[in-house]
Amino acid sequence: MKNQTDKLVIVTGSTSGIGFAIVLKLLESGYSVIGVGSKAESCQNAKIKITAQNPTAPVVFYNANLANQQEIYALAHNIKEYLTLNPNLKLHCLINNAGGVRDWYMTTSEGYEYQFALNHLSGFLLTYLMVPLLKDGIVIFTASSSHKHTRIHWQDIMFQKWYFVLSAYKQSKLCNVMTVKELNKRGIKAFAVDPGLVKTDIGNKGMTGITRWFWNIHKKSGTDPEIPAQTYVYLCNRPKSLGLYYYNSKIASYNKEVDKDSETMRLFALSEKLCGISYKERISS
Amino acid sequence: MNVFITGAAGGLGRAMAVECAKRGYNIVLTDCDEIHLVQIKNGLLRQYDINIEIIVCDLTNKEDVDTLIKKIDFLNLKFDMMLNIAGIDNEGAFMSRKYDQIGDIVKVNVEATLHITYEILNRRNTPFNIVFVSSLASQFPMPLKATYAASKRFLFDFALSLGVELKESKVSVLTLCPGGLATNPTVIEAIDAQGFFGKATTNRLEIVSRKTIQKALRGDTVYFPGVLNNLFRIFNNLLPRQMVANLIHRRWVKSQAKWLNTNNQSMANMVKTPITQNLETKGVI
Repeated sequence: MKNQTDKLVIVTGSTSGIGFAIVLKLLESGYSVIGVGSKAESCQNAKIKITAQNPTAPVVFYNANLANQQEIYALAHNIKEYLTLNPNLKLHCLINNAGGVRDWYMTTSEGYEYQFALNHLSGFLLTYLMVPLLKDGIVIFTASSSHKHTRIHWQDIMFQKWYFVLSAYKQSKLCNVMTVKELNKRGIKAFAVDPGLVKTDIGNKGMTGITRWFWNIHKKSGTDPEIPAQTYVYLCNRPKSLGLYYYNSKIASYNKEVDKDSETMRLFALSEKLCGISYKERISS
Repeated sequence: MNVFITGAAGGLGRAMAVECAKRGYNIVLTDCDEIHLVQIKNGLLRQYDINIEIIVCDLTNKEDVDTLIKKIDFLNLKFDMMLNIAGIDNEGAFMSRKYDQIGDIVKVNVEATLHITYEILNRRNTPFNIVFVSSLASQFPMPLKATYAASKRFLFDFALSLGVELKESKVSVLTLCPGGLATNPTVIEAIDAQGFFGKATTNRLEIVSRKTIQKALRGDTVYFPGVLNNLFRIFNNLLPRQMVANLIHRRWVKSQAKWLNTNNQSMANMVKTPITQNLETKGVI
């Protein structure tokens, strides 16, 4: 094991599924880790699971509901404080992995559609808040191959006319890949990872009836979360990699919409507005 | 168009605020939850070019309401529409609750609604629209939700009469009677516990908020969203009330037991991990 405990990686949505597998793999590879989970109880359980195997594992968990922008600010504040208290640590990578599906149209505290806010805006805002700490570090977003079969629904981006869970999900994942594209233009090294179909509980949380039943059958043909977790560690180990979108530690093809500058720039500008931020000011300062 | 909305910091109220903002209306939002009021205001101002006032107010507190009215008069505001969304439901058997919990249902759903409606009606433009949020529950005698259902029945009958009284003053009154509305993860759990019928009687939040405004502007008097809910209502009118009460009691007993059971289990897990007890909700673990 390489000793690189001075390199800190933040993983959101890390108390179960892919996120938890990423944390384990990162610790194995000798990184220090901050995990983020939406429930205090699951953070506690994740920490216990890890320290039972290795009591000195360099990992802490923070509890934050990333659908709520105020909690993202609070989280960023806590992370900054943690880094001040541990001056030997350098932020090496931010993994925006938290995400979910919701059967029903729901609004967040800011009045945004839930999946758009959680799957897209949360990573967008957290990355912005981490920019001053990242320096040469990288950012990774958990995308999905489902992003290939959609476009941005500009006429109704929050699906207020007729909400359908998969349309909202696919669009939010396309937003992730577009964000990655725009971040790279701004000199922030970013990647999107397609984890493939994985046996996780994403389709069981916040879902009811038929959709849950469908997911339970569908996920049986998925891989274990350790498989996609390798791709994240691969990118952490090789932060200068050239690709934008990765599957199984290899560069993969993505939706052509992502190469349309007008689309990605429009999304970036809208996202900045919805978060009340400006990347330009932060990067130049 | 100036719209006054109560209970605007979460759930249906927030979705209604989004709908009004989308239509370009100027809105006054009130709720007792200041943090979320500020957040929804920010979220809406980032998206829409409208005027928003937020006023923190506990509608059951007479002094709070007086201050609210003073503020409205100071701003010299008159309204074209009022959405009475604020309401609570401390679900459970009558004798299984503390009396205050029962009393609060009547205080918020009935007394506070009447008070604020009276004050806003005195500050109205002509024509004027009011929306009361009753419930599908108002149509049935509901054991285990007795006070809640009766409070909603109060609003249902009151709204109908008020509409007739004020018809000549060009005030139209709409009563919204939704089934379940999946406004947050806890509600989704509760809907799920009710099984097939829980999901089938749940209405789409995005549709209900849009159509409620449409119908109010059209001068409709009642709105029962969803085909199945309407069938239930018609069927219910054919059966003796005693029989309906018995049927509903049987159903609630089952679903509440299931719901309480899942919740108690997660509570039990909390207790098993002793460190959780001293845990700061948003702190490091």
